[in-house]
Amino acid sequence: MTVEWIHPGFVLIVGAWVLPLLKGTLKKAAMVLLPTIALGLCLRMSPGTYGTVQFLGQQLVFGRVDRLSLVFSYVFALLTLIGMIYALHVDDDAQHVVALTYGGAALGGTFAGDLLTLFAFSEIMMVAAVLLVWLRRTPESVAAGFRYLLVHVFGGLCLLGGSMLIWSQTGSIAFGNMSAFAGSTGFWLILVAFLINAAVPPLGAWLPDAYPEASVTGAVFMTAFTTKSAVYCLIRGFPGTEVLIWLGAFMALYGVVYAVLENDARRLLAYHIISQVGYMVCGVGIGTEMALNGATAHAFAHILYKAVLFMGAGAVLEVTGRRKLDEMGGLYKTMPVTLTLYMIGAFAISAVPLFSGFVSKSMVVSSAAETNRMGIYLALTLASAGTFLHTGLKLPYYMFFGKDSGLRAHEPPTNMLVGMGLAAAACIVIGVFPSLLYEHLPYLDVAREYMPYTVRHVTDTLGLLGFTALGFFLLLKQLDPHPSVSLDTDWFYRKGVAVLLPPMNRALAMIEGAVGQVYEVVMQRGVLGTGRQLRDVDAQVVDAAAVGVGTMTETLSGDLRTTVTGNAQYSGLIMAVGVLVAIAFAVFGR
Amino acid sequence: MSFLERQLEDPVRFKRLKIAFYVALSVIAVVEFALPRLMHAEKAEFWFEDLPAWESVYGLISCVVIIVGSKLIGKLWLMKREDYYDR
Repeated sequence: MTVEWIHPGFVLIVGAWVLPLLKGTLKKAAMVLLPTIALGLCLRMSPGTYGTVQFLGQQLVFGRVDRLSLVFSYVFALLTLIGMIYALHVDDDAQHVVALTYGGAALGGTFAGDLLTLFAFSEIMMVAAVLLVWLRRTPESVAAGFRYLLVHVFGGLCLLGGSMLIWSQTGSIAFGNMSAFAGSTGFWLILVAFLINAAVPPLGAWLPDAYPEASVTGAVFMTAFTTKSAVYCLIRGFPGTEVLIWLGAFMALYGVVYAVLENDARRLLAYHIISQVGYMVCGVGIGTEMALNGATAHAFAHILYKAVLFMGAGAVLEVTGRRKLDEMGGLYKTMPVTLTLYMIGAFAISAVPLFSGFVSKSMVVSSAAETNRMGIYLALTLASAGTFLHTGLKLPYYMFFGKDSGLRAHEPPTNMLVGMGLAAAACIVIGVFPSLLYEHLPYLDVAREYMPYTVRHVTDTLGLLGFTALGFFLLLKQLDPHPSVSLDTDWFYRKGVAVLLPPMNRALAMIEGAVGQVYEVVMQRGVLGTGRQLRDVDAQVVDAAAVGVGTMTETLSGDLRTTVTGNAQYSGLIMAVGVLVAIAFAVFGR
Repeated sequence: MSFLERQLEDPVRFKRLKIAFYVALSVIAVVEFALPRLMHAEKAEFWFEDLPAWESVYGLISCVVIIVGSKLIGKLWLMKREDYYDR
């Protein structure tokens, strides 16, 4: 590793271990300083290849710095900073260390230039994410964490297996555009690994399963890193892969449908991550320069507004302890600042003009129109209406307005509001000055040409959103949340296993029975025969010898006992007789 | 009482808010229909985009389809009791 290049991910991963050694203000300063340094390092970086290491005859690249990795690194580092500020009040070193490691690994994956480095960092991300779930320390979160681990270990193995296949085919592990390998097993394995991480259905049920079970502050980091790293990898490796268009559009609608049914505030938001990542996956599939710009811009904007939304729902959870919409309501009186900041995030995700989603999402939708994909265009627009319906109307209505639940709440700690405020400010800045973001997109010329604020686009969006709101108020009664769970593909490993286990158990029992029979017939006879012979040897030889030794010892000791009775007077007498005999010898023996 | 609370809890003011909402919707629909025709807006990609106030109509349809459709799927299939996975 060259000295002039410092890996911002390593700064976070190594620096995190300083936190447990510090106390009070110093610790809080370090929590802010570490991600600030990482962000500074990212901002000062210029394109090039850094940090190459020889390993097993291959070149590991820790620092592939280009326009695409840079823009993702900015938002990952920025979100780490915002998330740490939001978590300043939490007195739990473990969570802070894990969160910083998570952010560092996301940066590591972003700058990785080869598949092995990418694999290593995505495994670190997986472990960190699981720990953030477990560190909520409830039975539900422990179970959800194990399910998360199960799915992502499978995904990690797909990535490793695919990488090995590509390695053996080409002799290289460099990670770039994979289209040269299209159709090969390695290609599909790596694609599946990224699709799992991007939570593409039917491989995405882990996301709404685990994120709502994570700790209040941990969930903020989770919303940002894993899925968006996967989007980055898809943009890098699989642009223009046709199947992604359909998967992405399906995903955008899938999240919307589940959000209608959902009662848990953070799970509703989790389903909308799936919906929003759908736009990005679709953009990658369309694969034109504008679509890839759109996927990148939308990932950037999404990380910030989703953080605001999760921070808002997290603040309500932190203050009231409630997570279900049917138990909330009327909080706008006591949490007006949280409501305001939440609504900024909600307007951003709904693509209201002057907010960040408006300038990012439209690039993907426009590129669907430009490439003449009418069905995709209609599906994505439908999902836009659904996004506003849930995140902008349903959730705030039932959380902050609706029937007054009588909850006596208050605003969350100041640092939480500051974290939310920073992310919300970023949503507005990007919405008002889109060129600030566009200047950093991978295809600069195309980005500069794109005009988000056209008459038609603004009026169309206002019409779509306004009349979605009308539909919401007309059908309000239909949307009342009820306590329920919704079946998702996690059914297969949560319930399906329970269905599969009894027959599997029976099959195993039958096999065990057969093995037992074979054992009895073949093994037992032989073993018993040998045993019998050994017993005879034991009885005749070993026992006889032992008995012989015993008998001899007994006879000898019987003889001795008659001689040596142990009585002092006899011994004295014998001694006296001996002395007399000796004197007699001495006197008369000459 | 805060500003928002006054607007929502006072029946007279709430009614005024409702009327303002409907007026705003009508204005949006008219503007969406008229403005691209008055100004030199960019060409539409699909034929249906030139229908009068297309996005407003589509927004309303989308909202209804999403709510009714999802509820239907949920009631018939996906929604289970909260302790479904614990039993």
